[in-house]
Amino acid sequence: MLFHTWPFALFFIIVYPAYLALKNTRLRFPWLLASSYFFYACFNPLYLIIISYSTLVDFIVVMRMEKSTRRKMWLSISIVNNLALLGFFKYGGFVTDNINLLLSSLKIPYAIASPGILLPVGISFYIFQSMSYTIDYYRGNIARETSLIKYATFVSLFPRLMMGPIERAKNLLPQLHKPAKVSLQDVTDGISLFIVGFFKKVALADYLAMYVDKVYDAPEQFHAPALILATFLFSWQIYFDFSGYTDMARGIARMMGFRLMLNFNNPYLATGLGDFWSRWHISLSSWFRDYVYIPLGGNRKGKFNTYRNMFLTLVISGLWHGAAWTFVIWGAVHALGYSCTRELERTSFYKERVPKIAKQLFVFTFVGFAWIFFRADTINDAGVILARIFTSGLQNPYCPLLALVLIIAVWLYQFAYESRIRSILELRFVRVGIVLLIVFYLVIFAPTSDKAFIYLQF
Amino acid sequence: MNESGILENQKKSYPPAKSEVAFSSNCVRLAGYDLIFVSIVALVIFCFGPGFWQRLEKFEPESDFRLPYELSNDYWLYSRYCRWAVSKCETLVIGDSVIWGHYVSQDNTLSHYLNQMIGRDGFANLGVDGIHPVALSGLLKYYGRDISGRNIVLHFNPLWMSSSKQDLQSTKEFPFNHPKLAPQFFPKIPCYRQTYSGRFSAVTERYVPVLNWASHLKITYFDNMDIPTWTLQHPFKNPARAVTLELPATSEDNQNEYVSWIEKGTPQNDFPWVKLETSIQWKFFRKSVELLTERGNNVFVLVGPFNEHMLKGRSIEIYRQIKSEIALWLKQNNIACYMAPALPSELYADASHPLDKGYAMLAKQLFESESFISRILDSSSN
Repeated sequence: MLFHTWPFALFFIIVYPAYLALKNTRLRFPWLLASSYFFYACFNPLYLIIISYSTLVDFIVVMRMEKSTRRKMWLSISIVNNLALLGFFKYGGFVTDNINLLLSSLKIPYAIASPGILLPVGISFYIFQSMSYTIDYYRGNIARETSLIKYATFVSLFPRLMMGPIERAKNLLPQLHKPAKVSLQDVTDGISLFIVGFFKKVALADYLAMYVDKVYDAPEQFHAPALILATFLFSWQIYFDFSGYTDMARGIARMMGFRLMLNFNNPYLATGLGDFWSRWHISLSSWFRDYVYIPLGGNRKGKFNTYRNMFLTLVISGLWHGAAWTFVIWGAVHALGYSCTRELERTSFYKERVPKIAKQLFVFTFVGFAWIFFRADTINDAGVILARIFTSGLQNPYCPLLALVLIIAVWLYQFAYESRIRSILELRFVRVGIVLLIVFYLVIFAPTSDKAFIYLQF
Repeated sequence: MNESGILENQKKSYPPAKSEVAFSSNCVRLAGYDLIFVSIVALVIFCFGPGFWQRLEKFEPESDFRLPYELSNDYWLYSRYCRWAVSKCETLVIGDSVIWGHYVSQDNTLSHYLNQMIGRDGFANLGVDGIHPVALSGLLKYYGRDISGRNIVLHFNPLWMSSSKQDLQSTKEFPFNHPKLAPQFFPKIPCYRQTYSGRFSAVTERYVPVLNWASHLKITYFDNMDIPTWTLQHPFKNPARAVTLELPATSEDNQNEYVSWIEKGTPQNDFPWVKLETSIQWKFFRKSVELLTERGNNVFVLVGPFNEHMLKGRSIEIYRQIKSEIALWLKQNNIACYMAPALPSELYADASHPLDKGYAMLAKQLFESESFISRILDSSSN
């Protein structure tokens, strides 16, 4: 049940009015939890066992932590349990495949059977959210949640269950404690966010995917211009896909009175790789910063350790995305790029003399280059794409001009948004005009799509 | 950190600061009045847009017009054609490719010969190439709402009962024509597989004219593709220029197929007929009869003429049994009908489609049929 499909519309039409009716009664949380679990069960009812188990363990762990002097032990139980769940469901196949590869390369005639487990939707997101609760409690940043039903709602809240944002307990739990209030502005804000997100997903991401998939599914059949354009389009496809999802998730939550964190802040306007990571998938980047990078020592223990910590964090972040070496390499490429440019970004020359647009284009190009590893099905495919970009020569890429026009329009909009002429974009008739154009485009021209989100596989 | 330190920290941060979460990374934020304005404008455009479009887009069917094959899925245009036909002709001839005339040019169809015999354009060809009774029932129900108070010649092609696959009974997925017109949820069509989202889309399109009109634009001007897909095939073309406001003419580029089944060397066949009482296609055909009758139409059913020469083994006996059961049901329900006998073998292009001379002969037979004269011709002349 994806946000941009009819079954979700039907689900929301039933759930939302009932939520508004029940929001100030005792049934608010049972209704929210039941709706969220139903939403999740629509993917596969068995997933409920995993999410309930994870929720229950972390709830009990924190309860025991409150009364225990061995707090560290309870925290370890929570972390080990969560990572074991993630490892088993997400990395089981990856680990066995690699062990088997190693065994065969050592000519040992033995192979471990692949677990063949289905990756539960959203597991990486809610496990991280749940872990942030136990860690934050351990650190003393939040109080214990005493109600299991509220805690389960915090973990499973349906607008953010599939793909985040990975909310922090200190942001979302207090909102569950406050009396529910849904203002008219919440509703119109939510609708605004949803419309933009829907447009990003259906009209832009799914459109670009048509070209990207064609090229990346058979890279050996395409020449340099098509491969470069497909990589350029993928950079935008993944942004529109994930930020479109996030906008819809935040919009739905907003209509229910919840404020989820901003997850994307025009990342392709970043002027440095550090800046990029503070604008891209913010909820995950900040999670890794708070729970991996800083505990490793952050930048407090000298340059070598700083770069080591940064490198490790970005590689782990790459692995978080998927159980494949391509994601590890993607993380490593970013780590390498960031390590190389970090000092440069701090110089006054870079800050003052290099034009902003040049910095932005450099970051975009680098990030686009790294996406090759992210999008390629295998390391071999990534190698083929890179080799062909430099050796295959020129041939008409047959890339639709309309796609490029749409991307340029969005890019210009973003430039304007972060410039002095932003006030023009804020004019009422401009905002209303944009929404009308979006609605018109969606109804008349966009395909009926139920294509899944890219990040749903993570 | 000691225990008291933790508690101190908890008190400080729970509940947290009231800092507002950033709204978004764009300026598209509507207030209540903005949203109302957008809704009203969108509603006006979507309600009146399709009607206004009809004034811009020329649609002036000439004599013997039939819906171009390429526009078979354009139900918005079919609906428009129905309105035109109801206003111009006394009798509408409705059915599948047999009525449409798959193996003949548009001036050799059944409706053409019927018009020729009465000497004026009294019969409109509302056949759709590739449609089957299940889809036809949906087409008439949702897009043929204007068909009322008219004479109807409704054709039934027994070919749709010639196997469980044709009858859509196969439990294995089988892609069939016009799935959007089939029931999406109930009754269940065993071979129809579609996501819930796809099913909801199909249902919505039936009731929201603007979506139906958007499909018309895609089918008519963008080669039956949505615009993104079309631009992939025409990367350097401007989509706006593709909207020429002129409907494509019927292409008749399959004229080399206008030959008899004997010349083609098609072998005889032993069809695994389905039973009439379990047939899905027959069930939906009956629904179409009932629907048209309920709408005040004077319904006349034409069954066949099926190419019995092509049948072998027990197939022919079973076919005749089915035919007699159909006749019995029509009689019991007081529906006038003509159970067309088989035409000469050389007048068929395949199992069910006559060639031009076959249509001429069928038209003649109808004009000699008492039930056709009394039910259709007499009421036309009145």
